[in-house]
Amino acid sequence: MIIEQVIAASLIMTTPILLAAIGGLVNRQAGIVNIALDAKMLAGAFVAVVVSSATGGWFVAVLAAALCGAAIGYLFSLVITRAKANMIVAGLGLNVLVAGFLGFILNWFYNSSGTLRLPGVHLLPHVFPESSGNVPVIGGALADLDPLTLFAWGSVLALPWLLANTRLGLRLRAAGNAPQVARAVGLSEKSLQDFGTAFAGFFSGLAGAHLALASIGLFNEGLTAGRGFIALAAFYFGRNRPVTTALVCLLFGFLDAAQIRMQTAGLPPKLIGTIPYLMVLVALCLAGWRNRDRKAMAQ
Amino acid sequence: MVDMTAHQGGGGSELFSRGFGLAFPFLVAIAVSALMLLLIGENPFDIFTLMANEGFGSQRRISATLSAATPLLFTGVATAVCFRSGVFNVGVEGAFVLGGLAAAFIGFTAPAEWGAMIILPAFLFAMIVGAFWLYVPGVLLARLDVDEVVSTLMLNFVAFGISGYLVNGPLLSESSGNNVTPLVHEAAQLGRLLPPSTLHAGFFLGLFCLAAYAFWTRRTADGFEAELVGLNQRFSRAVGISIPSVIIMVMLLSGIVSGLGGASHALGQLHRFSEGFSPGYGFTGMAVALLGRNNAFGILFGAVLFGALASAGTTVQLFSDIPLDLVNIIEGTVMIFAVVELGRITLFRRRRAT
Repeated sequence: MIIEQVIAASLIMTTPILLAAIGGLVNRQAGIVNIALDAKMLAGAFVAVVVSSATGGWFVAVLAAALCGAAIGYLFSLVITRAKANMIVAGLGLNVLVAGFLGFILNWFYNSSGTLRLPGVHLLPHVFPESSGNVPVIGGALADLDPLTLFAWGSVLALPWLLANTRLGLRLRAAGNAPQVARAVGLSEKSLQDFGTAFAGFFSGLAGAHLALASIGLFNEGLTAGRGFIALAAFYFGRNRPVTTALVCLLFGFLDAAQIRMQTAGLPPKLIGTIPYLMVLVALCLAGWRNRDRKAMAQ
Repeated sequence: MVDMTAHQGGGGSELFSRGFGLAFPFLVAIAVSALMLLLIGENPFDIFTLMANEGFGSQRRISATLSAATPLLFTGVATAVCFRSGVFNVGVEGAFVLGGLAAAFIGFTAPAEWGAMIILPAFLFAMIVGAFWLYVPGVLLARLDVDEVVSTLMLNFVAFGISGYLVNGPLLSESSGNNVTPLVHEAAQLGRLLPPSTLHAGFFLGLFCLAAYAFWTRRTADGFEAELVGLNQRFSRAVGISIPSVIIMVMLLSGIVSGLGGASHALGQLHRFSEGFSPGYGFTGMAVALLGRNNAFGILFGAVLFGALASAGTTVQLFSDIPLDLVNIIEGTVMIFAVVELGRITLFRRRRAT
């Protein structure tokens, strides 16, 4: 019974991290390290709550959140590719700016500090009927399964093929890995990078929508709790490979879900929370070590 | 040498472009926030006048501004030390927080009989902790070519986790609420300069760091070499500068200054460590360093400006209902547009050695 609950909770907690990580991964393949995933998640969550409350539909809300994320991503990309801003500082700046902007709107138009609770917010529906909960072990996860989770894992499975076999996928990777080659064959690597960043924004918007609409149905300034950075950690650890990254996300989602339980078991949740970050550090060190040895061997 | 990389586009004299470069991000930020104010039907001019008045209008307000600027002096210098060598250290925040925790720890555990002497080991411990914290990513970058942006970013979250755990567990104050350590001994608290305001002696330490930074950049060989590495790595290597040692040196210096900043904030401002010790001083410090173009006077200017924004923002929220978040909007815009310019002028992403 406990296992069933943990699986269900882990899967739910994984989805926002996974969606953002998919976006960040494609973005990085195209040559941009997107450090502002968190900002777009936050904006997506806000838009999702507002639109869901206004229209009463979850699909419109999710779409609006994704488009909002994509729009922010596109503008952000223009600053990097056209105005030649440093992507790291601009990204950190965008995180501050979006948080400030949302806080401002929240404070002024909704007269609330930090939390937005609106009437008539529609949560994400469940894909399978209630009775699927009777399936052993994964029943809980099946019963809770929402369309965005399904979409996220579908994207993970489709992405390796899309990146390796479609025109757009190859061009995106060329823009990141061999910009000179891309330019030589007449591609605009800047436009491709803009597309990549808008794509990352789209998926981060979805991630935000999932955070807001999966179960709680409200917006809070601290809603993302650094998950945009966890996503960054995930695709760094997964070395930009979609399936590996997804498995890392699952592990981080599990840790996220387990945190709540470990608290009751007396383990310090704050320390558990640092595990994803430490893992990335270790992974980066190992990769650095390997590269150095390889270089030493070559000499 | 500088001019070689200086202009890729845009004409005008060097002086004009520099002056404009300094003002540009701030002008954009003013424009963006004015737009926000118009959007909610306020007169931006009135609000900005009010903010200027709240920031600098009287001695009391100026001391509040300087008090808010104090941590930014440290984080600004700590960031600039690395940025000018092209080392993208975004981990000042973590070192600042842990330095503060270290100083507070000494401040309330050391025997009270030591009196004001406690301040010395407290600052020393904070320096050591801060230096160690940034030494790690420094070595990783210098020896294993581990991307410092990611490593320092991740270490920030580790620092938050560790300090959050300690302040809710082993170091939790028994007497008062949660998320705070006990108060440091009275003798270990830094003196207040103009009593009703919270401006404390740490401000002078911040100015001292700034002066030391100015001296280091202009008058020492190490500071010159560090700048060369930032301007052109291949050239630096060709003239015999050890790039790994420069990287480690600037990271250590950055850690020391961050630690000092945390210690000054803990002993001078809060007199303890608490969760939420730093509302992003490390990141605002980046905005300060970028706005000030890594120049000591520029950093002073940037720190005072952001200090004024923070202290005026609070009162403006009180008197005119304008949300304090306006300050964040300005800060974020400054950060983004500071690098828009920088991308063209100096701060190039270092080419990786092959």
